[in-house]
Amino acid sequence: MHSSRAAVAAIVLSVAVTASLPSQSLDSLTLRFAGFTTVSGYEQPVMDSLLALLPGATRDRLGDVSVTLGSGAPRRLVSCPIDEAGYAVGGITADGYLTLHREGRITNPLFEQQLEGHRVIVFGASGPLPGVVGVRSVHLTRGRAANETPFTADDAYVDIGATSAGEAASLGVRMLSPVALEKRPHRYGDGVAAPAVGRHAACAALAAALLSHPKVMGSLVASFTVQGLQGGNPGLGSVTALQGPFADTLTATLIVKYRETAAETVVLSDVQALERRIVQWIGGAK
Amino acid sequence: MKRLVIAMTFIVAPVLRAQSTVAEADSVLARLIPLYGVSGSEAPVREVVKSLLPSWAKPEVDTAGNVWLRVGSGGAPVVYVAHMDEIGFKVSAILDDGSLQLDRQGGFFESLFEGQPALVHTPKGDVPGVFPTRDSIPRDPRELRHQPPLGRVEGDPLRSTLRVDVGTTSRAATEALGVTVGSTVTMPKSYQRLAGSRATGRSFDDRVGDAALILAVRHLDRSKLTHQVIFLWSTREEIGLEGARAAAHALGTAPARVYAIDTFVSSDAPLDPKNFADQPIGQGAVVRGLDNSSVTPPSLVDSVLTIATARHVPIQVGTTNGGNDGSMFVPFGVPDVALGWPLRYSHSPAEVIDLKDVASLADIVQATAEVR
Repeated sequence: MHSSRAAVAAIVLSVAVTASLPSQSLDSLTLRFAGFTTVSGYEQPVMDSLLALLPGATRDRLGDVSVTLGSGAPRRLVSCPIDEAGYAVGGITADGYLTLHREGRITNPLFEQQLEGHRVIVFGASGPLPGVVGVRSVHLTRGRAANETPFTADDAYVDIGATSAGEAASLGVRMLSPVALEKRPHRYGDGVAAPAVGRHAACAALAAALLSHPKVMGSLVASFTVQGLQGGNPGLGSVTALQGPFADTLTATLIVKYRETAAETVVLSDVQALERRIVQWIGGAK
Repeated sequence: MKRLVIAMTFIVAPVLRAQSTVAEADSVLARLIPLYGVSGSEAPVREVVKSLLPSWAKPEVDTAGNVWLRVGSGGAPVVYVAHMDEIGFKVSAILDDGSLQLDRQGGFFESLFEGQPALVHTPKGDVPGVFPTRDSIPRDPRELRHQPPLGRVEGDPLRSTLRVDVGTTSRAATEALGVTVGSTVTMPKSYQRLAGSRATGRSFDDRVGDAALILAVRHLDRSKLTHQVIFLWSTREEIGLEGARAAAHALGTAPARVYAIDTFVSSDAPLDPKNFADQPIGQGAVVRGLDNSSVTPPSLVDSVLTIATARHVPIQVGTTNGGNDGSMFVPFGVPDVALGWPLRYSHSPAEVIDLKDVASLADIVQATAEVR
């Protein structure tokens, strides 16, 4: 492995293998969560890190990670959906490019434009691999008819530098390997920008609330749920079926700017406010 | 011509010298690619270029910001030119809400910046921000087809419809960060190796050219020179070859020929039509015989191929789109020989090269410099 590729692996794996850091500030925890990649249905490496982060956490068969605090009635649920829209390798061409299948519901028609001409990470069997999504060379469009059709995943060819399907396979790329935009959380103003940062920062607020040893009213199930962007929200359904019924529920969410883009932004003070609200709700406040 | 080719073959065949390697190309590009240098603001690149030259080299900087390195003496000089600048934006106004109005510097698809992180480059340091998405996004993606393309403002060809949000809400707050009209704007970038000998990054155009000149200078056998060779790292190519224009005027009719060392935009990519520019990456440097700014005289194409063969340098010949700095010398009667390396996804954040081509380009620069 090249040293620079090892650096990419280190970045990604540092996110995936997080030790318990109860003294960590919420801002740094938010940045750490903002670096997560959790393609819907392929969240398990991050769920491994949540199991390590949260004492007493367990995982159900779908992959949801939950912590139970307190005892008795009422039995309540606080949750955050941790998955993000992304892609899985849908094919490998003879000359080594990867084609994509979309995973997870999206609502912004510019979501797939974010792929075009940008860097992605392919989570292969041998570890994360850097790649880019091809774009027409602007010079070669000169004097030719413009193509103003918006870019979609159907136009996406991931270039990892491989020259053949065999070379791609030797690098660990498989059918269904998850693919997502490279995550490099970007601080500006009083916010942080990253793909899917809204969902991940909300989960950071929930994790921080749990790590603060909150006072609990009755019993509480706190869940980080998978596959929230799949039809029917099966992750939350699994938690409810296995651990419910619940007298009350709260879903951790944040308002974001530039939704479903590479510059999706949350304001850090909003994350802090969400953590406080979760702590209060766990204690019984409405 | 045939006699000239034979003579060149005779001269260069025994002169097999140390050649550039993939590892050396990698190490130089790892220094050059992370630098930001939008046209007119090339100072960070200029300083690193100078620092990467061998200790014997005594580069000079002219009033246009070009870096000059003169080696050898005697006879009409032969010029090699590669540009240091990259595409991006300049701040044209700071708006009341604190956001930045932008002018384009160079040609590119602005949609590649929409909804992405931004960096505003100021004397106080880089100010982070983002490029917000367009004001109105239809729910149905098919409606996007009927919207005006990003970046077109009636009557102002440079003005962009993109803005930058630096996280402020007033002009005063933005100014307090050090942002001024004229500040340049790009997005974060890094140099990243891919599989094999390939790499990705932004501004390979023309940092690869810069790297090739640096490598050629490092390996050049100065004792073999019977003429002066001028290596030029130029400014403001992307906004109209302005640095090269200044250099061409300074040299006038003196040069024997100029080698423009710049990108060969290749159609070796899944989305580009392949009726020309289909010189694949990884197969060596390319003699850019014809582009939108110049035609390389066929006899000079032949001589480059002969030298490459004699020195065992992989080489291709092709035609592509774009202009080159060497074309500024042609009105003075100086033949322009454009040499490049094949590049995928030009002027995008995801440009891809093969480092073998960089080594090949450096070798052909060195080889042509060492023969008369």
